[in-house]
Amino acid sequence: MGFIEHIVFGFSIALTPMNLLYAFVGTLLGTIIGVLPGLGPVATISILLPITFSLGPQQAIIMLAGIYYGAQYGGSTTAILVNLPGESSAVVTCIDGYQMARQGRAGLALATAALASFFAGTVATIVIATAAPQLAEVALQFGPADYFSLMVFGLVGAVILARGSVVKAIGMILIGILIGTIGIDVNSSIPRFTFGIMSFGDGIEFAVIAMGLFGIGETIANLGLGEEGRTYVRTYSGLWPKLQDLRAILPPAIRGTVLGAALGILPGGGPVLSAFSAYALEKKVAKDPSRFGRGAIEGVAGPEAANNAAAQTSFIPMLTLGLPSNATMALMIGALMMQGLHAGPQLMRDRPELFWGLVASMWVGNVMLVILNLPLVGIWAKCLTVPYRYLYPGILLITCVGVYSINRSALDVVLASIFGLAGYLFNRLQCEPAPLLLGVILGPMIEENLRRALLISHGNPAVFVQRPISLAFLILTVALIGVLIAPMLRSTRQRAFEEKA
Amino acid sequence: MRIRLTTDLLTGLLFLGLGGFVLVYGARYPIGSAVRMGPGYFPRLISSGLALLGLVLIIRSLLRGGETLGAIALRPLVVVLLGTFAFGLLIERAGFWLASIALVFASRLVERELRVAEVAGLALVLTALITVIFRYGLGLPMQLLPF
Repeated sequence: MGFIEHIVFGFSIALTPMNLLYAFVGTLLGTIIGVLPGLGPVATISILLPITFSLGPQQAIIMLAGIYYGAQYGGSTTAILVNLPGESSAVVTCIDGYQMARQGRAGLALATAALASFFAGTVATIVIATAAPQLAEVALQFGPADYFSLMVFGLVGAVILARGSVVKAIGMILIGILIGTIGIDVNSSIPRFTFGIMSFGDGIEFAVIAMGLFGIGETIANLGLGEEGRTYVRTYSGLWPKLQDLRAILPPAIRGTVLGAALGILPGGGPVLSAFSAYALEKKVAKDPSRFGRGAIEGVAGPEAANNAAAQTSFIPMLTLGLPSNATMALMIGALMMQGLHAGPQLMRDRPELFWGLVASMWVGNVMLVILNLPLVGIWAKCLTVPYRYLYPGILLITCVGVYSINRSALDVVLASIFGLAGYLFNRLQCEPAPLLLGVILGPMIEENLRRALLISHGNPAVFVQRPISLAFLILTVALIGVLIAPMLRSTRQRAFEEKA
Repeated sequence: MRIRLTTDLLTGLLFLGLGGFVLVYGARYPIGSAVRMGPGYFPRLISSGLALLGLVLIIRSLLRGGETLGAIALRPLVVVLLGTFAFGLLIERAGFWLASIALVFASRLVERELRVAEVAGLALVLTALITVIFRYGLGLPMQLLPF
């Protein structure tokens, strides 16, 4: 089949009533949780994992994807009207978006965010449709050694590009990998770290970990912060931009899209990193950089295009290689696993309808989002006036019922509470819980591929540098580490020089 | 010298403790060889790494200091966990309705003054909503009442 046939095939799946419904539910939920500060896509997708279990795999992945990129739209609404990031990738949009709103250009800022996101979403959909099948083709030839090196590369990348301490992030990955070893070892059928508890034999359910860390742990952290006073911008006229506005939006939207689409594919590169990079880029190419921070329209268009493009292209490594580039993608792999499906090139070959249906639904979802976020923006602004004390009991309740529903096990609810406690402690220790989730997903695959690679090579570790694909990933890993260490070296040297002077 | 409780120091102790525990507890699983790995090989590899990182963090924090541990919000922590534990204990013994009401009330103890009428209303609405969605919408066979 050619490109056009694939796209038509995809739309024939995405436009069935059920799939349209779940794309709508996903984008609607995504918009709402994007608007609400303190509730992000990772927590929402974690909480909804058990619900997707009762849907088909196609509906599940369409809905979850909708939540993820929908949150990128919704987050900007809060950033512009309240100067709070509704979603962490909208942090940069606060800078110029809120200034525009204070100058009475809230409507234009909202329109800029939505239209730049839509443009980026459309381009990113095409990028996925063209790049993913070819990448999957290549990935089908990967051996165990190649997969091992790929995963090491993915984890190192996730750590380096993430914010916060690198040592802590690596530690969190290792803890995740160790949690992943719980259960009966497939090769020797010896139960590992089950502590005599029968139900640990199958390992700890991924959804229970995610729901505990994010559903319960983050709620405690939010409650610890207390509610802040918010000042709203309540008037947002001029939602329909003029031609000259469109002309001002387009160039930064294009730059943001290219940057975001590229960074989204990288392991660890997601919407947040892309938005920051796009803002820096816009400031660099601007004729008058002093306008930034005072309501520059490029400062909204660039980052908003970038975060949406990155949210969508981060699906590429997940779908084609089974490699999650961030916590959300780890959750997607988890959702597919609960359906008995393993993300990766085999899935793309054997179940093409899943892939093409998802790609087409992304574009459909983006159309829905423009409609949801421009004419209906008033409804979401109202959402912001709901106090947190009405929301969090509901979040906890859905989490608990959801955890219980997976295996109808009360023990799982207790286990999720313990992970909630751990999640809050990690928050206080300034350890991001997201890498732990990547470790849980990738741990068993890393062990399996390490075992198989060394079995084939008769225990010779040189196999990892002898196979060209594996070697390439290892070189990339070293290069990434180099990128990380270089600025640290430079700053230490700088400090040394300053001390001398 | 007084040791400051930095987040780095505490994280280091946590990593070292966890890594050490897995090393000791995991000693019962055979290692095997690189060609034929036993069930103990991989966990030992990973937990050694974790313990090592813990040491790095501890030494670094003693040399360089760092941010001290922020306040622990004890009330939300205890109250929320109490609520979710209660839910876990009640769901099978007393049914979803009682478990749900218990969770909503417990979690709202975060506030110093309990607005009884408001919380009762919230509990009622949420319980009804979840019952409709999970029990009837998604067909989850869960017990609603104690009998």
